[in-house]
Amino acid sequence: MTGRYEMAGDHDDLAGRGRRPGDVDLDRVWLGVAAQVWRRHPGPAERAAGRLLRSPGLARALVTTPSLLAGWLIATAVVLMAGLFATLGTGTPYVPLLAPAVAAAGIAYAYGPGIDPAWELARSMAVSDRMVLLARTLAVFAVNAVLGLAAAAAGAAAVPTAAAVTFGWLLPMTAVCALALAAATLAQSANVGVAAGVAGWAIVVLAGQSASGRLTAVITEAGLVLPYLAFAAVCAAIAWAATRVPRGTP
Amino acid sequence: MNVEINDLTRRFGRNRAVDEVSLQAGAGVFGLLGPNGAGKTTLLRMMATVIPPSSGTLRLLGRDPGSYGPRREIRRRVGYLPQNLGYYPGFTVAEFVEYFALLKDMPPGRVPAAVAVAVERTGLGDKARAKLRTLSGGMLRRAGIAQAIVNEPELLLLDEPTAGLDPEQRVAFRALLRDLGERATVIVSTHLVEDVGAACTRVALMDQGKILFYGTPAELTARAEGTDAAGDAPLERGYSAVLAAARIGAGARS
Repeated sequence: MTGRYEMAGDHDDLAGRGRRPGDVDLDRVWLGVAAQVWRRHPGPAERAAGRLLRSPGLARALVTTPSLLAGWLIATAVVLMAGLFATLGTGTPYVPLLAPAVAAAGIAYAYGPGIDPAWELARSMAVSDRMVLLARTLAVFAVNAVLGLAAAAAGAAAVPTAAAVTFGWLLPMTAVCALALAAATLAQSANVGVAAGVAGWAIVVLAGQSASGRLTAVITEAGLVLPYLAFAAVCAAIAWAATRVPRGTP
Repeated sequence: MNVEINDLTRRFGRNRAVDEVSLQAGAGVFGLLGPNGAGKTTLLRMMATVIPPSSGTLRLLGRDPGSYGPRREIRRRVGYLPQNLGYYPGFTVAEFVEYFALLKDMPPGRVPAAVAVAVERTGLGDKARAKLRTLSGGMLRRAGIAQAIVNEPELLLLDEPTAGLDPEQRVAFRALLRDLGERATVIVSTHLVEDVGAACTRVALMDQGKILFYGTPAELTARAEGTDAAGDAPLERGYSAVLAAARIGAGARS
């Protein structure tokens, strides 16, 4: 129900009962006016996200992500660095498989208790902070992918690294994050979303490695497994510490 | 009862910030008094479901916050003002209150009116469209209170809500507390004894993680009778008497 509708109803009510203007509850009238004057009108992107995510709160968190400047700059720097490593072409699938863990740890830190000033409040909200973090991750990748595409269109495609990061990392990861958020929304569980995203990215990377015949590196360079696993564990620990939630969270 | 706590403990390493606390609270304004480091903030954070207890049982609004579904339902009905209110400097007061209303899962159609009511009740009507970075400390505190009450919570948890408010604002705030306490359970953590005397129906006094006293402000005042406890007001002398008695008892045991 909108405030405008309520106010129209009040007029009808007043006319019907023949009340004098002196009986008007001015506090209530002012609150109706203030609600309309202070009301923020969400843009089309936020409205669409609210419908898709079934949560206007999550949609608001998604669209406000870039405006939280400190977190945004840190998250963007980590994501672009991870992208540089992911697209190095080392001949082993470990690097691209681990890159999302680095990005996740960076984004969790950037929008976690160390940087996000309202983290304590966010932890007490009905919309889970992990769902908010998934939405923020999608925003970081999507906006950087758009900027990467714009840079490519403006001629930066001549720089092969920029094009490689945009097409080999930012765009696929945006799709993976969208998949993760969609799965999380359907299952009402951030953990299900993360599992779907990890599975999606693993399929993308391993399919690419398999097509180029480099998947054999997993076997031929088996000595790399331990250091890579240790590195992944450190990244996972950072992300876990930054998003630790009470028992029973799905 | 909106709050049922039994033997609740929270450890940070070896330190027991809250040590086997039990209490119950229904509708009304409930004061949590105690010196710095008494465990008041940790107890409030557990009730706000920000941190889980290490042991003991906690039921809020008849639900167990240890499970996801009930916790989400609790969070829809709780308002929380942290001791250190973090905020986004680029948001206006109305945007800030609206953001947390939406994260509390309020129906979007109800949000604009709820924001207007919360902003007006905290006396920030003329600052509704001002950026948070332009506000004074007292105004920021009131913006924090506005986001806490925007969902008309059944359980309202306020940690040092009057910090930074001038005397006139504190008097107005106490009236707001009494009004809110008619329908909801309002738990106010403070070390300002006069706030408790003016607004609270029940009071608990904490020190070193334990509750030393639980009763009405009048009963706390009565604890000072026959003692030479320090304080400028009767309630303050009662507070000092209970703390002194507990410390003498602890000294004798050790």
